[in-house]
Amino acid sequence: MMTTSSARLSKAARIATLLAASAVFVYLVSAFLLAAFRSQGDVVAGGIIDGLSFQNLVYNWQQIVGFGSGVFLIWLQNSLIVALFAAAVAVFAAVSGGYALARLRFAGRKSILFATLLTMVIPNTVLVIPIFLGVAAVGMVGKLLPVIIIMAFFPFGVYLAFIHFSSAMPKELVEAARVDGCSELGIFARIALPISKQPIALVFFFAFVADWTNYFLPLVLLPSTKSTTVPVGLQQMISQSQLYDPTAAAGLNVELYIPQLVLAALVQAIPVLIVFLSVQRYLVRGVTVGAVKG
Amino acid sequence: MTNKLSASVAGGTESPLLRRRSGFAHRRSESMGAYTLLLPFLLLLLLAGLIPAAYALWTSLVNRTGSFAGIDNYVNVVTDFRFTSTFLNVFATMVLYVPLIVIIAVVFALLIHASSRRLSASVRFIFYLPGAFAGIANFVLWLYILDPTVSPVRWIWSVLGYDSLGEVAQGSNVPMILSLILLFQGVGSWMLIVYGALNTIPEELIEAAELDGANAFQRAWLIVLPILKPWIAYLSIMNIAYALQLFLEPTLLGNATNGKISPEWTPNQLSFTFAYGVGDLGAAAAMSIILLVLTLGIGLFIVTRTDLFGDAE
Repeated sequence: MMTTSSARLSKAARIATLLAASAVFVYLVSAFLLAAFRSQGDVVAGGIIDGLSFQNLVYNWQQIVGFGSGVFLIWLQNSLIVALFAAAVAVFAAVSGGYALARLRFAGRKSILFATLLTMVIPNTVLVIPIFLGVAAVGMVGKLLPVIIIMAFFPFGVYLAFIHFSSAMPKELVEAARVDGCSELGIFARIALPISKQPIALVFFFAFVADWTNYFLPLVLLPSTKSTTVPVGLQQMISQSQLYDPTAAAGLNVELYIPQLVLAALVQAIPVLIVFLSVQRYLVRGVTVGAVKG
Repeated sequence: MTNKLSASVAGGTESPLLRRRSGFAHRRSESMGAYTLLLPFLLLLLLAGLIPAAYALWTSLVNRTGSFAGIDNYVNVVTDFRFTSTFLNVFATMVLYVPLIVIIAVVFALLIHASSRRLSASVRFIFYLPGAFAGIANFVLWLYILDPTVSPVRWIWSVLGYDSLGEVAQGSNVPMILSLILLFQGVGSWMLIVYGALNTIPEELIEAAELDGANAFQRAWLIVLPILKPWIAYLSIMNIAYALQLFLEPTLLGNATNGKISPEWTPNQLSFTFAYGVGDLGAAAAMSIILLVLTLGIGLFIVTRTDLFGDAE
């Protein structure tokens, strides 16, 4: 009797804690989403739903594209080029490299695996300044290509593919194909690749999100306003906003207050959302390994 | 067919010498295949990792005229009046942030693990939601929350007596604000990782403990936590490494508060100022090497000591 009532009490406490914490998240995220449909006046007046309208959304969007005569769209384009190419190269390097590490024997395998793990757990910001020094030395600052190459280095992807082939592709399959006279590259192309949907989707997702949201690297390698990506551009919008710098904002031709900044941030999140939805079914299975990088 | 072929390759009636030679040839073609497949990744490792690191090391050891300077740049960096404070600042942030994210991620993973499938799935989704606004979008969200003139939670700021963003983001509050910003965007995915680890615990183990009369608290404390220990270590160390690298959030907070927060608040920001602000590449390189050595140490510890990549190695 005692135990059932105390168990019931602890169950109620558990559910109450989960609901309360979820309510905090839901409240803050929805306040954020709704702010894009309001005017600065509504936001200052308070609450989270007063003044919602599509006219406000349209007005806020016009302010964003009016900033710097449409430079926001150029940032979007740069971000797309950089993130798509970098993620594609990362997938290519990860799937072939991960397969070799998982299923082939060769001198140096352990050291390469060790280097992969080590570089995977090191935050990528640590090399940004050294990379800047190198890129500046060859005169490539302001070009998209070095950014793509640096972002394409994605050891976590190699680790994901390595785990995939270690568990999903039996050693015997490789042996049998070899015995049948298949070349090493042929085995990879004809047997490993066709069963690689899962790692391709996962690596593409994690690489794309990491590249799309990367701020420090483009800040350093793409310093000019016209050539940079959305995260760095958003920072320029924030620092020129009337809210935070009244003097610099005096010459601004558009309004950049909370609703406009929120909308710009939401537009920036859309590609992440699209990629997330399109690889979702692969994520469900791979999320435990997949989430390791955080 | 396959069987016959493999029997002949494996030796059969061939002489030991021949067998060794064919094994040799086979292993060589296997190695060649492996190196070919690894080539793209190794090239990227070279271009994005080893060359920049080596170049930074070289730059840190020469002076502006290009002649060998020994440890001069390092001495300049370490004796810079901002050097110690940048590390104290990230340390003050770690002391708040790391215990917060570890405790919340573990406690909530345990709570959803004990809950029905539907409740657990909804909470996982809700906690993961802010992860979609990683980085700058999450920062804009926090600008909205932190600014008392627009905040959807302005009653908190009025209770605390703050009227402007500058007052909210005053010096002594910065570690707490940064912790909240990082926590909000990261806790969902860390909770998922711990939850994934919880799912690997065999149910029989828990049931056996239950039969032996262990209550829910004892089961969590005596069985589940020891199994989670390497994950908790991983979570803590990764987040320490992450906090050490802080750049975006303090930079933007400084921007938005009109310089209330020093632009050299963290080590990475100081390194950025050396490189961009004053063009002292030697000092920037020296600062980067110091940070690289620290994070390499943390990384080596994770890979060799936490037991998490045991199978992989």
